[in-house]
Amino acid sequence: MAILETKSLTKAFGALTAVNGVSLAVEAGTLHSIIGPNGAGKTTLFNLLTGTFAPSAGRILCDGRDITGTPACRVAHLGLARSYQRTSVFPAFSLYDNVWTAAFATGASWGGLLWRPADRYAEVDERARQALADVGLSERSGQPAREISHGEQRQLELAIALAAAPRVLLLDEPAAGLSPEETRSMVALVRALKGRYTIVLIEHKMDIIMSVSDRISVMHFGSMIAEGTPAEIQRNPEVRRAYLGGMA
Amino acid sequence: MKRPIVLLLAAVVLLPLLVRPAIATEIWIFAIFGLGLNLLLGYTGMLSFGQSTFFGSAAYVAGWLLKHYAINVFLALGIGMGVGAASAALVGYLCVQRSGLYFIMLTFALNQLFFFTAYQWTSVTGGEDGMPGIPRPALAGIDFTNPLVYYCFVAALFLVALWIMRRIVESPLGRILQAIRENPVRAEAVGYDVPRFKLLAFVIGGAFSGLAGVLYAMLFGIVPLEAIGFVFSGNVLFATLIGGSGSLYGPVIGSFVFIWLSESVSTLWARWPLLLGVAFVIVVLFLRGGVVEAWSRFWTWRSSKPKA
Repeated sequence: MAILETKSLTKAFGALTAVNGVSLAVEAGTLHSIIGPNGAGKTTLFNLLTGTFAPSAGRILCDGRDITGTPACRVAHLGLARSYQRTSVFPAFSLYDNVWTAAFATGASWGGLLWRPADRYAEVDERARQALADVGLSERSGQPAREISHGEQRQLELAIALAAAPRVLLLDEPAAGLSPEETRSMVALVRALKGRYTIVLIEHKMDIIMSVSDRISVMHFGSMIAEGTPAEIQRNPEVRRAYLGGMA
Repeated sequence: MKRPIVLLLAAVVLLPLLVRPAIATEIWIFAIFGLGLNLLLGYTGMLSFGQSTFFGSAAYVAGWLLKHYAINVFLALGIGMGVGAASAALVGYLCVQRSGLYFIMLTFALNQLFFFTAYQWTSVTGGEDGMPGIPRPALAGIDFTNPLVYYCFVAALFLVALWIMRRIVESPLGRILQAIRENPVRAEAVGYDVPRFKLLAFVIGGAFSGLAGVLYAMLFGIVPLEAIGFVFSGNVLFATLIGGSGSLYGPVIGSFVFIWLSESVSTLWARWPLLLGVAFVIVVLFLRGGVVEAWSRFWTWRSSKPKA
């Protein structure tokens, strides 16, 4: 069964329909990529899935349950965690505090919220350390987020999403702005996470997409124009037209 | 963490020897007021320009009850904190959805609303003349009318308030509020209801302001109209910024500097606010962390200097 599903999802900003009747079904345990040219509506789709925007029409289902209109702060508690295309961390916090904040939010209990010292939540602490370890930032855990390199901030971005112990990871261009070498290690990282989580991935770099995806959905001008395995997508004439502007 | 506590205890003991007990008492009252503001300003990143709303409302309500019903001191303080928290819940509810300049102006406008209510409602508040005749009822044989006794009482309450605030800022709530200050969008995305947490900060800050308001009314035996006016809101903001909004002890140091300047220097030089103005400009331009930052920079500089 699909863990995350949309049905004719639409979002209009005035005259612009950024997402137009998108139906998507993400199967549990798979890595499902969403590709498309700039402005195709991929990030808007993410913003709808995570409750940042309410859709103009259509429905979103998680485990078959209708979650349309759930506000952003509740979506994390449903097991959906996202990372951002433009790095969005807590700059003055240490890396540890960054992931701790995300881990606590979805923690087992908020008991002692106003009173218990923040370092006395063993379960939260363990998840926070694990998230930093997963992205390879354990040694930096005490450093403020604003002092680390762009590449490391991208890793932290991912660690914050992981710390929430999600069932579905929504990754918005995790390799944005990375050097070829950094991109390679990010791809290795995403590949390592595959299987542990259901992953929905937005990415521009074709080689990444083709090598890691189980399924690919293609968006163009707000609509879903194709869906299939990497091999099917590579052969699809409509996809080639969207990408190459009709020259293919 | 040990050293600030030692310094603070020394200050509590020495202060009444250096200045009049009334001024010494006012310093700790203002520090409690500043602690409440700083939870909003320094930790959550909300610049509230209406803190006197909670301070003044609590002072009026508890003052009225003290005056007419001679209620127990602790009951008066409890009621004051309740009134401070309730008025902060009301103001906070209306403000937390706004941000930036709109947020600041709304806290200011609502403060004006409370101010003019107090100004017009002369039968209760005394309007411009203030609400005089507020007693300091004795408690279990302890005579609070003795200035030194009252000083000890206030200083003890201040230490308790500081300890509670320290627990709060070191709790998960403290970290969540700082996360909201750092990046509200991400804080929301990882699962925190940002407006609700901001409201909670308001309510806690309001309770601290209310406590300070009642202690202030009992200190001077009157609730002056200014206690709910915008100058008071500005003063606590000023004091907190000068002391350092980034740290727990900032507002305490700020209160010390502010009250000491306003009470001591003002007798020597009528244009003392000029000094405050200069201090404020220096803080804004060079020392965002206020006196606390200046202090830590000084020690870094000292220790980095090669020993001759």
